[in-house]
Amino acid sequence: MNATVAEADWRANGVQVEEQYDDAAQQREAATLGMWVFIATEVLFFGVLFASYTICRILFPQGFAVASRHTDMVLGTAETAVLLISSCLIALGARAVKLDQNRLAAGLLAGTAALGLAFLVMHGFEYHKEYAEHLIPGVDFMQRGPQAQAVELFFCLYYCITGFHSLHVAIGVSVILVLVVRVLRGSYGSQRYTTPELTALYWHLVDIVWIFVYPLIYLVGRAG
Amino acid sequence: MSTAAATPNARPRVTPLRRYLWALAALLALLTLSAGAALVKLGVLNTVIALGVSVAKTLLVMAIFMHESEARRLTRIAAALGFVWLAILIGLALTDFLTRVPVPPPW
Repeated sequence: MNATVAEADWRANGVQVEEQYDDAAQQREAATLGMWVFIATEVLFFGVLFASYTICRILFPQGFAVASRHTDMVLGTAETAVLLISSCLIALGARAVKLDQNRLAAGLLAGTAALGLAFLVMHGFEYHKEYAEHLIPGVDFMQRGPQAQAVELFFCLYYCITGFHSLHVAIGVSVILVLVVRVLRGSYGSQRYTTPELTALYWHLVDIVWIFVYPLIYLVGRAG
Repeated sequence: MSTAAATPNARPRVTPLRRYLWALAALLALLTLSAGAALVKLGVLNTVIALGVSVAKTLLVMAIFMHESEARRLTRIAAALGFVWLAILIGLALTDFLTRVPVPPPW
């Protein structure tokens, strides 16, 4: 019986329903659930870094405030705005795919990728500035004073957290660019939108991670 | 068994455009709030506001952009799980670090 329904789905909508699923809707729900399980593992991946940050900040509150003032709050705020806007764009892009507006979808997805690239470029400027200020622990670290060791610890965490986050942004940009090409080729539409939707979920995760990076890295001890 | 069970050309449900734009406006307003609040000396409230705004932003992104407000219960549980485990990880680690007292050596 299920095979018949699946076959009908395939004929009617061009969606290949694998044999373990009843229909295309169930297959889509399973894929979404799988993506959320993957996102949970990503939350824990970054969570370990945030847990280390929490403990170090409790142990060295003043050192972390001093260190945070070395980061660039203006760039950090701009990067946050860029990622928030890109999250909205990809959500609109996935929506356009569902509405069969392929050209609009491709434009919105390309915009998302462009904002992702802009984020990476801004972060590159930040890293360069920190390199020039000798803020690279273990390689070129010239801070002196009573908080120097705590500052070094902060910057270790800073490079780990933002480095892995930027890696996620870079992977996201690559996946989205592939998506743009496939959307333009007509691979997706109102009956086939699982891949754009799941890519959007991944991009929102990248955004959520940054939503927490922003206050923890850039906003500590700003009021003096 | 008839093949009518599959519904050809059924339109998928989409979130209204306005909802996304309102969510983005709220997110940018929250960003301004956290940046502004960080510049005012409020003591421990600085951290509370910063993290509170982050949690609010995350809930907005998850509810609207990630469609959790329309999702099935099972998907919601899966979405919450990562954060629950993270809370256990950080919470249990802090039971150690927040309760340490310096023990002077007996000599």
